Amino acid sequence: MYFRRKKNKETKYRDDQAEPPHSGIIWLLGALLLVIIPHLLRLPLWMSASCFIIITWRILVEYKHWPLPSAFVKLVITLGLVAITYYQFHTFNGLAPGSALLTIMLCLKLLEMKTIRDTMVVVFLGYFLIAVSFLFDQSILFGFYLFSVVLALTTALVILNHPQASTSHHKYYLNLASSMLLQAIPLMLIMFVLFPRISGPLWSLPKNKTSAIIGLNDQMNIGEITQIAGSEEVAFRVKFNSPPPSAKDLYWRGPVLWYTNGRRWQGVHDQFQLHNLTPKEPIAFSGEGIDYTVTLQPHQKKWLFALDLPKDIPDIAKLGIDYQLLAETPVTNVTRYSITSYPQYTTGDAWPFVLQAGLQLPDHRNPKTRALASQWSQQSLKPQQIVNKALALFREQPYFYTRTPPALSSHDPIDEFLFTSRRGFCEHYAASFVTLMRAASIPARVVTGYQGGEFNPMGDYLIVRQSRAHAWAEVWLEHQGWVRVDPTAAIPNERVESFVDTQRFLTIIPEQLMGNHSTWVTQQLLQLRNSWDAVNHEWNQWVIGYGSDRQLQLLDKLGLGKLTAQQLIIMMIVLIAALITSTLIYLLVQRKSTGDPVSDGYNLFCNKLSGIGITRQPWQGPQDYNELACRQLPHLKQKINTITQYYIALRYSPTKRYQTEKFIQLVKRFKP
Amino acid sequence: MSSSSYLRRFFHTTPSETGPIKLTQKRIYILPTRNGVILSIVLFAMLMGAINYNNSLTYILTFLLISVAFVSMLHTWRNLYGLYLDIGKCTPVHVGSLIEVPVSISNKGSQTRLALNIAWPNKEPIQFDLKPNELQWVKLTLPTDHRGYQTLGKLTIYSQFPLGLFHAWSRLQFKQDCLVYAFPAKNGQLPSKNSQQDGSANSGMTGSDDFVGLRNYNSGDSLRHINWKALAKEQGLFTKQFSGNQSDELVLSWNQTGSTDTEQCISQLTRWVIEAEQAGLRYGLHLPGQRLPTKQGRSHRHQCLSALALYRK
Amino acid sequence: MYQYTDDAIKQINQIVLGKPQQIRLSLCCLLAQGHLLIEDVPGVGKTVLSHVLATTLGLDFNRIQFTSDLLPADILGCAVYEREQGNFRFHFGPIFSQVILADEINRATPRAQSALLEAMEEQQVSIEGNTHKLRTPFFVIATQNPGFQVGTFPLPESQLDRFLMRIKLGYPDYQAERRLLAGEDPRRSMEQLKPVMDEEILSKLQQRVHQIHISDALLDYVQVLLNFSRESPHYLTGLSPRAGLALVHAARAWAMIHHRNHVLPEDIQELLPYVAAHRLQPSNEMRSNNQDELMAPLEEVAIP
Repeated sequence: MYFRRKKNKETKYRDDQAEPPHSGIIWLLGALLLVIIPHLLRLPLWMSASCFIIITWRILVEYKHWPLPSAFVKLVITLGLVAITYYQFHTFNGLAPGSALLTIMLCLKLLEMKTIRDTMVVVFLGYFLIAVSFLFDQSILFGFYLFSVVLALTTALVILNHPQASTSHHKYYLNLASSMLLQAIPLMLIMFVLFPRISGPLWSLPKNKTSAIIGLNDQMNIGEITQIAGSEEVAFRVKFNSPPPSAKDLYWRGPVLWYTNGRRWQGVHDQFQLHNLTPKEPIAFSGEGIDYTVTLQPHQKKWLFALDLPKDIPDIAKLGIDYQLLAETPVTNVTRYSITSYPQYTTGDAWPFVLQAGLQLPDHRNPKTRALASQWSQQSLKPQQIVNKALALFREQPYFYTRTPPALSSHDPIDEFLFTSRRGFCEHYAASFVTLMRAASIPARVVTGYQGGEFNPMGDYLIVRQSRAHAWAEVWLEHQGWVRVDPTAAIPNERVESFVDTQRFLTIIPEQLMGNHSTWVTQQLLQLRNSWDAVNHEWNQWVIGYGSDRQLQLLDKLGLGKLTAQQLIIMMIVLIAALITSTLIYLLVQRKSTGDPVSDGYNLFCNKLSGIGITRQPWQGPQDYNELACRQLPHLKQKINTITQYYIALRYSPTKRYQTEKFIQLVKRFKP
Repeated sequence: MSSSSYLRRFFHTTPSETGPIKLTQKRIYILPTRNGVILSIVLFAMLMGAINYNNSLTYILTFLLISVAFVSMLHTWRNLYGLYLDIGKCTPVHVGSLIEVPVSISNKGSQTRLALNIAWPNKEPIQFDLKPNELQWVKLTLPTDHRGYQTLGKLTIYSQFPLGLFHAWSRLQFKQDCLVYAFPAKNGQLPSKNSQQDGSANSGMTGSDDFVGLRNYNSGDSLRHINWKALAKEQGLFTKQFSGNQSDELVLSWNQTGSTDTEQCISQLTRWVIEAEQAGLRYGLHLPGQRLPTKQGRSHRHQCLSALALYRK
Repeated sequence: MYQYTDDAIKQINQIVLGKPQQIRLSLCCLLAQGHLLIEDVPGVGKTVLSHVLATTLGLDFNRIQFTSDLLPADILGCAVYEREQGNFRFHFGPIFSQVILADEINRATPRAQSALLEAMEEQQVSIEGNTHKLRTPFFVIATQNPGFQVGTFPLPESQLDRFLMRIKLGYPDYQAERRLLAGEDPRRSMEQLKPVMDEEILSKLQQRVHQIHISDALLDYVQVLLNFSRESPHYLTGLSPRAGLALVHAARAWAMIHHRNHVLPEDIQELLPYVAAHRLQPSNEMRSNNQDELMAPLEEVAIP
């Protein structure tokens, strides 16, 4: 690939072997830089640096007319870079190493880019790299950035195909490229809407190790994190189809943590395979159901979030024994699902081993906590009373809610928190509470997920950000089943450090959330943020989230819901063919508008006559043509004469006695 | 137009035409280029990726590029559509040199047409752009290998602009023959007057040096006949004309060449005609079955040379 | 105003038979203040046409027969010493007239030719330091024998450019010739001619020509035509800007003769062969100098 092609002088002339125009190469290299930048930010530093150096060097080659490197040098550079890539990733398989290799290949191709053909291949590779970029990021801004890069690449392609390209015409090329992209949009939309979507990948997707998620995790380590930064990234958005629930019910259930070693809390999935089991008794729902649709941002896990507790669950998910919704495959794309949840429920009896798991505590750790709990249980209190006692502890003792708790480095972090530091956030309270309950022989578990959300009046939906990640507890009570208890909510507001955190349990309406503390500027900023989020929401709904279900929904609306994939493809092809043919016909029959209504009118007149065989030669003057037409159509002589008279008067004479409108009317009425 | 004639045109068996020819939809063919095929492979790979990752933006990009390719097909096609082509008269040349064929291409629309190519098949093309309502003359060269009329091959006009993904072309056969003079022999020595066996053409002319008049000086006129007096008076350069100026008369004939080979004879005579004209002589040409009277001037030269070029053709 | 031109054309047509187009063209040339070159064999009525034209328009007429021994002074005049007064008096030559027929102009030496042509161009004569204005309107009709005849000095191209139009009279058609043969000698009937206008009206008409409207579209057309002539391989050199100006001006006069206050594309097409043919040289020897053939490319240029 990187060797010079042997050129046979005897072969026939080939257009694409010619030298590309200089200005085209400059455009191309500029556009390529824009293509590669997002990749460079992801790649290891040395790779980005070498790519950047190669492109800069290639630009210098263009300006200073340096020679391109010899075949040997190219071979050495190529092998070297490929080897180092392998060393870095240990594989060429997978998205990250694949895209790294592609980026490097593109840069290397520049070293031997000589003919128009080479440059065009580079443009195509550039397009491909843009497509690869979308696999990493599909956000609206990035999308716009990359589509403007597509425009730049297309402009480069146009210039490369105009050998006499001159620098003064760049605006023309840019206009041409953008008009072509605009003209392509209708066709693109047809394909985008109708092309049948398959749910599920064609081949198994390599695991995406590199991407980490912010916010929720499937385990927590008490006391290790000393600072939580509330990421404003959106976790999911919810559109309520029925009246939204009150703020106290806005608990979005995520992974449930059972197992603890005293410090670390984690799910049980690995040990007990519990998630494949179903609860012993069906949940008894009561009260009003809440209908809503969640649009979930990809987070590479199988978790789907739902309000407690979901009843009608989507096809793509199943409900685990701990009532967590799980998807069949990891959520790698924006996913939409509709659920009905009931805030009032009774889970009823549980499997004994479930209760067993809910009582697990490591021996010899956190002795003070266990002592406190056993003290309560010895008072022969009812479980509900023990729960209240624990909550009262948090409420009445000087426990503080803070986002920057001190590190708990001792062997017994729960003890340290409960009796020494007394400063922590939701994880601390949830873990301590569950530990207390278990020590008091009440089955309990930590539930993680999100709490609350902010309402976006612009799009009439709820935004749940990563900063809303939360941990709370569930205890199992006789006759009631699993009951949610949020120990963090027991902390009175005066002991909550930041203002925002005091508001989180109160309401979901942001205007009120900001309350009288808001200024005009913050109001405006909030407004802006809401609008921007609404745009993002629509983007997710209609662009990124346009998958098989969304397609079906749309086709149903259009009355095409019953079409099979084959029928859709046939319909797509027919529509495309029809669009292209009609454009072609339009181009064939169009009367080229001259911008002058009089000339256009006369051309229409000539076309009408030409339709019956009286063709006007381009060099034929109006009077000569008039004579010809009158001779051929003596019965229309008067009308033809009048039209010609009007035309001559309007086009050639200085007098303004005749009206253009009248002339056009005459022409339109004229029927040969 | 019936389908059979359409097919015939496709296989380039149409009879030659006279210009101007308008490029209509029936004359323009369009096929993807090699680069177009490469792009389609790239696009297929992108589509596979989009399906596999169910990535909407990759879908959009893939479909957008497919659509742009379709749109560029129409643009490429329209780049040629509606052009008028015509062919000018070509100036005769001698065998071995390149003949120049002027071709006019006129853009009568309001659309700019860039990167048009015109060429004989498989030869290096001439590239040009046309502004709205512009007419351009392009001179195509053609090697010559025999005397007489040279028929022009099929002219190809094509374009791949704007994206180089499609190749639109049209082949035109103009009804035009270009005259090619015979190759002039190396020996430029004119035959001496004594060797003129065929004196009949001369006999009518008396040897009197009658002054007939003056005429404007033409390059090649003998210096002896310049009106020096007039020049000295700064009246300009004039040539004196005499009737029956025998010393400057020459009749070139077949026999003088001393060769039996027809082509060699023609070649030698061609050379003599050029030399005689250059020396400012009045000369005639006698070929078997054809006699050209004694005259002078460019058009006479052309008559003689074309008679030689077309001899027994 | 149109009635003057109509009357003039009508009157000339009664004397010069079967040549309505040439009569209109000569009048058009005169109205456009250009000079006319008639190329034709002797005896087809060149002299009669110019004489009738002059008389009808109420202008002086003078004829200069060009011969090989004609001297510039024979055209322009010379200063003659008057013994009685003891000084030089300028003796006005035949050029000091309003309509001049320069017959067989290519018979004379280039010197004599250029004397006339310079006077035509500058509208004045300079002799021995004195400048004498020519009379207005000043209209030269030059005739030239076609082809290269022995002992002639064909006008060089640069000189030909000074004539607005070149026309050919040609032989009369059968009907006209018959009437000519049967009727009286046109020279005798000329004596009964009465002028239909005078100098003043003529100069007013000439002013009117300037006011005839020519639209931008037509100026475009003229420019495309000029460009075509410059780029086409049919011609050695293209038309000069002066030729373009001449074309526009002639087209205006032509429109006026046809009772219009604006020019039409047809006017330009009709006049182009007369205005352009003598200024163009075909590049190819194979092409004849035929006016029609020379103008064949006219059909390649579209009217914008």
